[in-house]
Amino acid sequence: MTDITASEPKPRRRVNLHVLGPVLALVALIILGASLNSNFLSYGNVTNVLARSAFIGIIAVGMTFVITAGGIDLSVGSMAAFVAGVMILSLNALIPSMGIGVPLIATGMVIALATGIAAGFLNGFLISKIRIEAFIVTLGSMGIYRSLVTWLADGGTLSLNFDARSFYRPVYYDGLLGIAWPIIVFAVVAILGELAMRHTAFGRHCAALGANEQVAKYSAIKVERLRLMTYVILGLLVGVATIMYVPRLGSASASTGVLWELEAIAAVIIGGTVLKGGFGRVWGTVIGVLILSLIDNILNLASIVSPYLNGAIQGVIVILAVVLQRESKSAD
Amino acid sequence: MKRRDIFKGAALGLAVVATPVVAQDEETKVIGVAIPSATHGFMGGLNYHAQEAIARLEETYPQLEFVLATAGDAGTMVNDIEDMVATRNIDALVVLPFESEPLTSPVQAVADAGIWVTVVDRGLSVPGIEDLYVAGDNTGFGRVAGEYFAENLSEGDNIVVLRGIPTTLDNERVDAFSAAIEGSGINVLDMQHGNWNRDDAFNVMQDYLSKYDDIDAVWASDDDMAIGVLEAIAQAGREEEMWVVGGAGMKEIIARIMEGDPQLPVNVTYPPAQIATAIELTALGMVSATPVSGRFIIGSEMITPENAESFYFPDSPF
Amino acid sequence: MTAVLAAQGVKRRFGPIEVLHGVDFDLVPGQIHALIGENGAGKSTLMKILGGYLSPSEGQLLLDGSPVTFTDQRDAENAGILMIHQEFNLALQLSVEENIFLGREKKRGIFLDKVAMRAEAAELLARLDCHVDPRTRVADLSVPNRQMVEIARALGRNARVLIMDEPTAVLTGRETDVLLGQIDRLRANGTAILYTSHKLDEIRRIADRVTVLRDGTQILTREAKGFTEDAMATAMVGRELTDLFPDKTPATDEVVLTVENLTVPGKVRDASFTLKRGEVLGFAGLVGSGRTELMEGLVGLRAATGTVKVNGTPVKPGSVQAAREAGVVYLTEDRKDKGLLLGKDLTQNLTLLALDKFGSLRIDKQAEDAALTQAISDFDIRVNDRAMLAGSLSGGNQQKLLLAKTMLADPDIVIIDEPTRGIDIGTKQQIYGFIADLAASGKSVIVVSSELPEVIGTSHRVIVMGRGFVAGELTGEKITEENILRLAVGVADRIAETEPA
Repeated sequence: MTDITASEPKPRRRVNLHVLGPVLALVALIILGASLNSNFLSYGNVTNVLARSAFIGIIAVGMTFVITAGGIDLSVGSMAAFVAGVMILSLNALIPSMGIGVPLIATGMVIALATGIAAGFLNGFLISKIRIEAFIVTLGSMGIYRSLVTWLADGGTLSLNFDARSFYRPVYYDGLLGIAWPIIVFAVVAILGELAMRHTAFGRHCAALGANEQVAKYSAIKVERLRLMTYVILGLLVGVATIMYVPRLGSASASTGVLWELEAIAAVIIGGTVLKGGFGRVWGTVIGVLILSLIDNILNLASIVSPYLNGAIQGVIVILAVVLQRESKSAD
Repeated sequence: MKRRDIFKGAALGLAVVATPVVAQDEETKVIGVAIPSATHGFMGGLNYHAQEAIARLEETYPQLEFVLATAGDAGTMVNDIEDMVATRNIDALVVLPFESEPLTSPVQAVADAGIWVTVVDRGLSVPGIEDLYVAGDNTGFGRVAGEYFAENLSEGDNIVVLRGIPTTLDNERVDAFSAAIEGSGINVLDMQHGNWNRDDAFNVMQDYLSKYDDIDAVWASDDDMAIGVLEAIAQAGREEEMWVVGGAGMKEIIARIMEGDPQLPVNVTYPPAQIATAIELTALGMVSATPVSGRFIIGSEMITPENAESFYFPDSPF
Repeated sequence: MTAVLAAQGVKRRFGPIEVLHGVDFDLVPGQIHALIGENGAGKSTLMKILGGYLSPSEGQLLLDGSPVTFTDQRDAENAGILMIHQEFNLALQLSVEENIFLGREKKRGIFLDKVAMRAEAAELLARLDCHVDPRTRVADLSVPNRQMVEIARALGRNARVLIMDEPTAVLTGRETDVLLGQIDRLRANGTAILYTSHKLDEIRRIADRVTVLRDGTQILTREAKGFTEDAMATAMVGRELTDLFPDKTPATDEVVLTVENLTVPGKVRDASFTLKRGEVLGFAGLVGSGRTELMEGLVGLRAATGTVKVNGTPVKPGSVQAAREAGVVYLTEDRKDKGLLLGKDLTQNLTLLALDKFGSLRIDKQAEDAALTQAISDFDIRVNDRAMLAGSLSGGNQQKLLLAKTMLADPDIVIIDEPTRGIDIGTKQQIYGFIADLAASGKSVIVVSSELPEVIGTSHRVIVMGRGFVAGELTGEKITEENILRLAVGVADRIAETEPA
C-alpha cells in the first residue's frame, strides 16, 4: 500500500491567483511603500507596523476559526475593551496586597485570559446551546461589553497605576533579539493557528461544520461543542491581545477597540476565508491583517492624498483584494 | 435612583426647611438635559459635570426636576428629546447637539412649543432658535495654542499636527491654529487625523516619527491624543527632541503640567464644565426672574505650571 | 407525426474529451421517449442539450423541423421545453406556491395576486394527487412531495416538451403510480415527453419508444413494445447481467444488537428487534413509516427513548459518538445533504468520520492519502483526479465514497439507508456485492430500502415497518414482495402468522 502512494504523483493544484492574490497585494503594497518613503523599510517602521497589527492579528486568527465554522463574532472589539478594563481595575486593586512585580502582572494576565474565555464562552453558549443566531448574540454582547467598560470607567478612562505600568510596559515595547514581544506572540499564535487549521482534526471539523452542518452531525462530530469551542478560543485570543494592548498605553476607555471586529473580519475575508464558512486559512488572515495595517501606514507616511479619503482608499483595496480572488477562482 | 441619591434626597428635605431660598413660584419645573454619551474622554468629563450639576441643583432647588438622557448618535438624541416633550412635559431643554444639522428642526419644534431652549457647545444650523447659547471657544482653542507655538518656536522649526474627527469643530480649531502661526516661519510637516482617539494617535505619531527625523513640537489638539503621542515618542526615545501640547485639560495631563514636565509645557482649556454652566443658568432662569438669555462663550485659557492647580479636578473622570 | 424537438448527429465535448459521439433523438407530441443507460452514459448531457442548458459541439437541434439554437435554458423554456431535475431546483425557504410561480408570478397591478396563485397551485397539486397545503414551506416537505412540487411547477408552465430526469428515484410505489398516471394524461394531451429512470419496469410500463446510450454512443432506438427488461439491461451494460444479487452467506446465531422499545417521539413507537453477527437485516415499509427515523434514533441522531444494546452493553442514548464507539454507524439516505461535503476533496470526505484514526493531534496526511488509495481500489471509485471535489463524482461513485467513509470507522454494525438510490444498475450490483462481503466477513448490516427487490435480494431477514411501529418480520421463504406489502399496509392476519415466537 505504501509503495502505491509513493509511486503516485502527489495531487498538487496549480499555483493560481486565488492563492497568490493576497500575497501579491501585500508585495505590491510593500513596493509602493518603499518607493514612496525611504524610511518605510526601516527597522523602526517595520516593527511599528507589525507590533500594531498584533492586536487585531491575534484576534483575527481566532475569528478565522469562528468564520470557517460558519459563525461570526461582532463583539470582539468591545470584548477587548472590556477585558482591558477588567484587567486594569484588577491590577490597580491588587497592588496594595501583591505589590508591583511579576506575580502581579502574571495574575493580571490570568484574569485577562479568564475574562476573555468567559466572554467567549457566553457568546458560544448562547449560539450553540440556546441556538440564537450568532449575528444577533454577538451584536447584543457587543453593546453589553461596550456599555460595561464605559460604566467601569465612569464614562472616562481607566488608567493603570503609573508604577505598575512602568513595570509592565516592556511587554509591549521590548522584545527578544530585537523583535518586539507583540510580534513574537502574534507569530506564535498565527503558527499554532495555521497548524490547528490544516493539520488537526479540530481545523478539519471546523471546515466541515461550516460547509454543511448536517454532514458534520452525521459524521459523528460533536457539533455543539465544536461551535462553542471556536468562540471560547476567540475569547481566549481576545484575552491574549488585551495582554499585549494594556502595556502600550496603560489605559482603556469606551473608545478602546472600536471597530476592531470589522477590521478582524475584513482581514479574515481578504485572506481568502469564505465568509459563509466551510473554508479557512490562517496564513491568509495574517496577510490580510498586514495589508490593512500597511494601507494606514503608507497613507500616513506618504501624504499623497487628502487624509479625508483614507477610509475610501482602504475600502477600495479591501474590495479589490476580494475581487481578485473571485476572478481567479472562476478562471481555474 | 442610586442609594446615595436617596440619602441626598433625605438631606435635602432638611435643607428645604433650613435654607432661605425664596422660590419664584412653587410650581415644579422640569428641565430636560440631552447630551452625547460618554464615548470619549472629553464627553466623559462632560457627563460627569452634567450629573454633578444636576445633583447640586436638585439639592438647592427642590422645585426643579431634571431628566438626563445620553445618546450614542443623533437619531437617538432626537428620540430622547421627543420623549421628554411628550412624556415628561419639560419646561426647559438643555441640549448639546450631537450634530448640528439633524438636531436643528427637532429643537426648533421644541422652541416653538414655548419651551425654553439652551444650546451648548455646538450651534444649530439655523441661528436664533435657542434662548441661551453656552459654548466653548473653538477658535480660541486653536488660536491660544497657535500663539504659544509662534512665541516659543523659531523660524524654520518643524511641527506636526494631529487632527480630530473631521468635523466643523475640528476645522475651526485647526484654521485658527494655522492663522495664529502664520508668518512665524514655523514649518508644519504634516496634519493627519487621530480621531481624538489614543490608539489612532499612537499609530499616527509612530508614522510621523518614522517619516521625519526632525520634529520640534507636536500639537496633539486633544489630551486623549496627547497620551498616545507621548507614548509613541517614548517608544522612539525622542523625548528630548520635542514638546507636546494637547488640549481640553484632562486631569492626568494637568497633573504633569503642575509637576513642570518639560515635555508638556502648557495646555489649553476647553472646559467640559460648560455643560454645568449651561444647566445652572437655565435653572436660574426657571426659578428666578434673572434674565439669562443670550450667548455665553467660555473662553479657552492657557494652562501653565503656575495656574494649573485651579484647573485640576481629581474627582472628574476626565 | 413530425418531431417537435429533435437532435441530429449531436456531439458534445468537454475540453478534449468527447462525451456524446453523434446522437439522433426525437420527441414527438403525444409520445413518451425513454432514454436509458448507466450513470455516465451521456443521458444527462443529452438532456441538458435538449433543455437548452448546454449547446452541442457538433450537430444541430430542430424545433418543429427547423434548426434552432438555444442561448440558454430560459430560451428553451420560452419555446415550451421544460426540464425537471433530479436534483431539485426549489427555494427551500419559500412556500410551495411561491416555488411553483417563481419567476412568473401572477400580478394584479404591481401587487402579487396571491389568491389566484394559491388556487392554481392547489389545482396543479390536486391533479398530481398530492395533498400538500400550497402555503407549506418547501423545507418542511418530504422528499417525494418536493418532487411533486417540482413536477407541478413544470405543469404550470404548459410545457410542449417535458424532460424528466429520474422523476421516480425518490418516490414510493404508490407515488410512482400517481406520477405515471399523470404522465399518461400529459401524453394524451399531446405533450412530448423524455423520460429517464433506472427502474426498467417503469420504462416498460410507460414508454412508447426507447433509446439506449452506452459510453456516449447511441446503442439503439426502438419501439418499447416487446423490449424486455433483461434485454434493456443487457443493451445498457453491454454484457449479460446474471445474478444482480450475490449468494448469501448464512448468518451466525450470535446476537450483536438488541433494540428494545425504541420510541422516537411522533415518528416511531416501541420498536424492538435484534441483529445477529453476519446477518443482513432488511427494513421495508412505505415512505413515512418511520424506518429512517428509527435508525436515526438508534444511532443517536434523533432524540429517542428505549434501550439499545451492543453485545449486551447499553449504548448511551442521543450520542452519535457513543454509537460509533460501540461500533454502530449509519449511512444516510441523503448523501448530498447529509453524507458528503460536496465542496471538499475526496480525502477530507473519506476520513471525516474516522479522523481520530489518523493521528491524535496532528493529522497524518500520508496515511490519509494511503487510505484514499485503498478506498479507491477497495470500492472501485472511479476518479479522474485524486484532488477532485466530491461533488464532481457521479452519483454511484459518491455512494461508493460514502460507503468507504463509513467503513473507515471500522464498524461492526452498519446501517445503510437506501444503498442504491439514484445509481445505475452496474454500480448497484457492486454495492450489493459489498453488502454481502461485509456480512460474510462477520459484520452485521441493516439495509433500509424502498425498493423491494433490493430488500429481498440482500437480506436474510426482513422487518416491515408500518406507520411508526414494527408491523412484522419475515424470514426465509416468506420474504416475498406480496408478504412485505401486506405487512406494510397492515393486514392483521398476516402479521400473526409471521411474527416470531
